[in-house]
Amino acid sequence: MTTELDAEELDVDDLEEIPQVAASEHDLIMMARTLVMGPAAQDDIWTLLCAARPCAPQIGPTCAALLEDTLRHAWRALWMRGGARPAASISISAAAPPAPPAAPGAPAWASASSRTVTITRGRLWERHAPAPLPFTSASLVFLRWLVATPFAAPASTLTQLAAMPLSIGDQLLVYLALDAARTTPAVRVLAAQPFVRAAPLAWLGHAHALARRGAAPPSFGPLTEGVGAIVVEALAGELARRWYAVELGKRAMFEPEPLLDLGAAQDQTLTGFMTACEAAARRDLAAFVLDAAAPLLLRNVMPAPLQLDPNTTLAVRAQARLAAGSLVRAVVRWGEWDGLHRGVRYFDDDYPAAQLLLERFETIGPTGLGRARHWLTELASLVPSPTASDTVTAP
Amino acid sequence: MSRAIQIRVSESVVRTVHVEDGVQSQLEMLPILARERQAELLATELERQGFVRDGKTARRKDPDGLEITVELETATVTVRLAADAELAESIERRANVGVERQSDAEAALRDDVMRDLDERLTQRTEALRREVTQRLERKLGDLRKELDEAVGRATVAALTEKAASLGHIESVVTDEAGNVAIKVKL
Repeated sequence: MTTELDAEELDVDDLEEIPQVAASEHDLIMMARTLVMGPAAQDDIWTLLCAARPCAPQIGPTCAALLEDTLRHAWRALWMRGGARPAASISISAAAPPAPPAAPGAPAWASASSRTVTITRGRLWERHAPAPLPFTSASLVFLRWLVATPFAAPASTLTQLAAMPLSIGDQLLVYLALDAARTTPAVRVLAAQPFVRAAPLAWLGHAHALARRGAAPPSFGPLTEGVGAIVVEALAGELARRWYAVELGKRAMFEPEPLLDLGAAQDQTLTGFMTACEAAARRDLAAFVLDAAAPLLLRNVMPAPLQLDPNTTLAVRAQARLAAGSLVRAVVRWGEWDGLHRGVRYFDDDYPAAQLLLERFETIGPTGLGRARHWLTELASLVPSPTASDTVTAP
Repeated sequence: MSRAIQIRVSESVVRTVHVEDGVQSQLEMLPILARERQAELLATELERQGFVRDGKTARRKDPDGLEITVELETATVTVRLAADAELAESIERRANVGVERQSDAEAALRDDVMRDLDERLTQRTEALRREVTQRLERKLGDLRKELDEAVGRATVAALTEKAASLGHIESVVTDEAGNVAIKVKL
């Protein structure tokens, strides 16, 4: 009976025609969907990356509409990656009369007092007004390159993707591609592209993949304001988990040279990002550093290699051990910020923000900070002690 | 039909090599007095351990070649060990070739010999460098202890000076663990 009713209700006019696109356009849309949908849709990412197909120089209106529809789900992708969890954000709005400049020598924090600072709590969409996530033609260039590149071929034979100005949406797509390819050989090819290396969000999330001698990350300013800051907030949990995993991985590293490269990339990323956060009075964005370091500090798991190749020089080994402390140095910088936050008085404009940041630093606390400082001393020591932890006892 | 001949190539190399390894670290000096005064106190303690002061640095060269340099104001210590050696290697190699290929074969054989000589010298240099690294590693344990003691004594001296600036020192008691208690009458 029900079936008959359904059959009657289905009018021919109600049936939507399935959009028709060219084969290469289909691949383009599939690639975009796979990146945006996240890990659940990426079981076969390596096959997708290896199925190279030449792309036409232009795409049709149907493909453009489908791509637009796919990229519209990027916010949802961010919620799925942790942005839906309740959290707190610092909101800064410009006050009408500009305050006098901060006294010479005063911290950057003091200069933020010319703005109205409020704390917003809730889920991502409750904390921020809806904002468009801008994608430019760079996203299409990137997707075309992903589809056309045979990632299984030798890296030297692949076409390089030149750097371009990237909007925050483009950067998110790069971030998602690195995340999707992280367990495949394609991640090396991706990380070598100037296009990818020009995305500060890629450095923030995948500094370990982009680590290379003499490389420098771009400016992190765009990630500390507007939509960029909202994206970083949404990814905070994921960033913390990834940085934590990389720190744990350092304990198994044996060759000093890769550790030197990794430490340099991490140092540049964290220093650059934390400086940008400080300049924008958005130190809360760097709280993922605390979440990444807290479990290590709590369990006394020093992010340093258990043993470095004894055939290498002591000089290189000592430099590598120092380089391993990049996240710990960021925690110590947070400790310096914490001292400044403690000095903010209740009638100061920044008091609510300072209270939030004090609350965030409690996961580390004076004990964790002391341990972090001790680790840095130990990493720089003439004779390093064995890197034991509270959870692992020496045999 | 070509006639076979035996060619013989003999090459020898003598190379003087210099290898070194070193580390740099920071001594843990608590900021008790002004940096210049702390540097003075540290210099005094280091001089007792055979260091020679040269302006803002203190240096010591041990009989085994270990060079220790301490930047007094920043309390940065640099330890370096170097070695020089004269490495000699020679290789003689023979090959049977047709007489018409004599010159080409001899040149190719000589290239091989030179390449092997280079490889052997590189290996011996690397072995020497490893030996220097191992010697340095063995020395660092004792050196760290020695420097920590000097820093400890300089810190006590700095604390005593600080205490004296606050009032009259009534007693300075050092226990077996090295803890120092300074009693000051204000």
